[in-house]
Amino acid sequence: MSKIREDYENTRWRRFERFVNGEEMPEEKRLELTQAKEGDKEEQLAEITTTQSLRRKRKEERESFRRYWREQQEKEIKEALKQRADWPNTGGVRVFRCVYRFVALLICAAIIIVLLETVAELPRFGSAGTPANSNEVAERYIERGQEETGAVNIVTGMILDYRAFDTLGESHVLFIAACTVLILLRIDHGKDGKTTSAQLAEEDDRKFEPKNDRILQKVAFFLVPCIILFGIYVILNGHISPGGGFSGGAIIGAGLILYLNAFGFKKTERFFTYKTFSTISLCALLFYSVAKCYSFFCGANHLSSGIPLGTAGDIISSGLILPLNICVGCVVACTMYAFYAIFRKGGI
Amino acid sequence: MEWVRFLAGGALLLFGLVVSCIATIGVYKFKFVLNRMHAAAMNDTLGILFVLLGLIILNGWNFTSLKMVVIICFFWMASPVASHVIARLEITTDKEKVKEECEVAEDVDF
Repeated sequence: MSKIREDYENTRWRRFERFVNGEEMPEEKRLELTQAKEGDKEEQLAEITTTQSLRRKRKEERESFRRYWREQQEKEIKEALKQRADWPNTGGVRVFRCVYRFVALLICAAIIIVLLETVAELPRFGSAGTPANSNEVAERYIERGQEETGAVNIVTGMILDYRAFDTLGESHVLFIAACTVLILLRIDHGKDGKTTSAQLAEEDDRKFEPKNDRILQKVAFFLVPCIILFGIYVILNGHISPGGGFSGGAIIGAGLILYLNAFGFKKTERFFTYKTFSTISLCALLFYSVAKCYSFFCGANHLSSGIPLGTAGDIISSGLILPLNICVGCVVACTMYAFYAIFRKGGI
Repeated sequence: MEWVRFLAGGALLLFGLVVSCIATIGVYKFKFVLNRMHAAAMNDTLGILFVLLGLIILNGWNFTSLKMVVIICFFWMASPVASHVIARLEITTDKEKVKEECEVAEDVDF
C-alpha cells in the first residue's frame, strides 16, 4: 500500500499539475491582493474608534469610503480574474504548449518511421518463405481439418473446434458490451418506480419517429419471418457452408429490430423482455463454457468430445460444432436486439 | 448461343453499372435530403436489378440464380420501404424545409 503524503499540495508534481491546468496565479499578484485588502481594513478600524462627536460627522465619510473601498475591491477582483483568464496565454504555458506540440510531432514521426521500416522488411506477398505459408498449423488445418472436426467449412471447424476457447472469449465480449451499454444508457426508474420529468423529457425525442406506418407494417409482416428463417438457416449450416453463429445471429437480430420498428415495443415485449434476454444469454454462455471448460485444464489442447462426428456434410454432424454455433447465434441475436432497444428507449 | 448470352448478360451488367454511377453522382449533386434519397434509391432497386439479371443470364439457370432472384425480391421489397420511412422521418422533423423545397398542399397532415 502506498503512503499518503500529507504535503501533497506542495509537492513538485502537484505544483506542476496546477501549473498545467492553469489553476495557479502568479505568486506576487496574490500577495499584493491580500496586502491591499488588509491595509484598507486597518484604516477603517481606526476610524471607527474615534470619539462620538466625530462619529456622526464621519459617518457620511465612512459611507462614501466604504463604497469606494467596495468598488476598489471589485475592481481588483475583476483584474485578478482577468489575469487568471489570460494566464494560459502567457509565459510558461505557452512554452509548455510549444514543447508539447514538438514532442507530439516527434513521436508521430518516430512511429511512422518504425512502421514503414517494418513494412519494408516484410516478405513479398505470396512467396513460399513467408511465416503464413510455411506454418505447420495452417497446413494441418487444411489437410486434416475436415477429418478431425467433421466440418466441411474449415473456418467454422477452426473457430469452434480447434480454437473454441478463443470464440468463447469473443461471445463473452459481446455479452459484456451489452451489459456495459445497459449500465450506461438504462433509464433508471428510481426507487419508487417512477421516472422524473427530466428523464421523460429526454425520452421525448422518440415521439418524432413515425409510428404505425402501414407500408412498413405490411412489408415487415412478409419479411420478418423470411429474415429469421434465413438466419436460422445460416446458423444451422455454419459447418457446411459459409456462415455460422455470428453472421446468422446478426441476421436474426436484424429481423427482430425490423419487427420492433414496424410494430413497436408493446408487441415485442410479448415475447422479448429483459428476462428473455438474460435467460437466453446466460443459458447459451453457460452451455458453451461447460462444453469447452476442459480447455482450462488441458492448456487449450485439443481433446475429443466423445460425440461421433457423423458424415461430413450432414446438418447433424461434426460433434459439438452445431450446438456451439447455435449458442453463439443466440448470444449475438440477443445482443444486437438489446443494443438497439437500449439505445432507443433506455431498456430492453 | 453462348455469344448471345454473353452479350446480353454483359449489356445488362453495364447498364446496371451506369445506373449506379448516375445514382452516386446524384447523391453528391443534390442538396436537399429528399432529392438525394431519390437518387440513392435508384441504385438500390434499378441498379441491383440489372446487375443481378446480368449475372443470372451469365450464370445460367441453377440454384445460385434462384438465390439471386430471391435477393432481387428482397431488395425490391425492402429498399423502397426503407426510403419511405427515412423520408417520413425527415418530413416530421423538418416541416419548414420541406415546404420551402416542394409543393405541399395546405391541409396536409404529416
